[in-house]
Amino acid sequence: MLTCKEFDEFMIDYLEDGLPVWQKFMCWLHVKACRECVYFIQQYRRTIALGQDAFESPDVAVPDSVPEDLVAAAIAHRKGNNI
Amino acid sequence: MVMAPSAVNHPSASEFAEDGDGQRTNNEEDQLLECLRAGDESCYEKLVRKLGPRVLATARRYLRSEADAADCFQDTFLVVFESINKFEQRSSLSTWIRGITINQCLMRIRKQARRQEQSIEHMLPIFDEHGDRIEAASPRQSAAISKLIDTEQMRSIVRQNINTMPDDHRLVLLLRDIDGYTTKETAAILGIKINAVKTRLHRARSALRYLLEPVLEQTS
Repeated sequence: MLTCKEFDEFMIDYLEDGLPVWQKFMCWLHVKACRECVYFIQQYRRTIALGQDAFESPDVAVPDSVPEDLVAAAIAHRKGNNI
Repeated sequence: MVMAPSAVNHPSASEFAEDGDGQRTNNEEDQLLECLRAGDESCYEKLVRKLGPRVLATARRYLRSEADAADCFQDTFLVVFESINKFEQRSSLSTWIRGITINQCLMRIRKQARRQEQSIEHMLPIFDEHGDRIEAASPRQSAAISKLIDTEQMRSIVRQNINTMPDDHRLVLLLRDIDGYTTKETAAILGIKINAVKTRLHRARSALRYLLEPVLEQTS
């Protein structure tokens, strides 16, 4: 059976279903038997979800508009460069 | 080390995936594109107003200062204006511009003096001599985020922790987990191998898990 360290090396592919059948089975067996790795996977998945959610915040999400000085500068920049 | 962007000015559709814009948006973008190619002056401003918010949000995500994000915004639109006639429409206009924005961010990060970066080695999982997992005691686990935190505080904590990561790892995390690029696309954007993307992503997620451990306990 895989050790936790060996499982950790396969983990990213295991969670994305990117392993050949035999390796996937070996990982599955490990997870069935290892409480520590199950706990780690739960936290790992929660971390990914929190990362994605963190950028949904109103202060970092897509703003409704761009500050006028930035719009004006972009247009002026174009004219200045004769594009 | 952050590698040179693989396609500086013209990200191709194969490198940057379609972003699922609706038909209505695509029609609007098609009209805008036609108008830009016809050289209608008012359309340049319309483009900046329409897609500028997304460009600015992307630049703010990748760059650590507002001044850099504003400069990146200008650089992005300069490249867009210069290249609009070469745009081959293999992706939507907004997808193409997002690719240019990210390339401009990466170029800016690469040019900046290397930050004093914190190693993430001590944040990675540790194993004993038999390969069994040992949970490292998180230094802040008991240091008490004792009061309940609300959603916005949580989001802010997560963003701060992502921002403390070394750029190598932070960029892979942003491209894969936040912007939704595939592993292959991320490898192409950063000019690194697919296995390097996987390794960095796993390390970045593991380090972030370590950093967030005190709040993970609260939110599980």
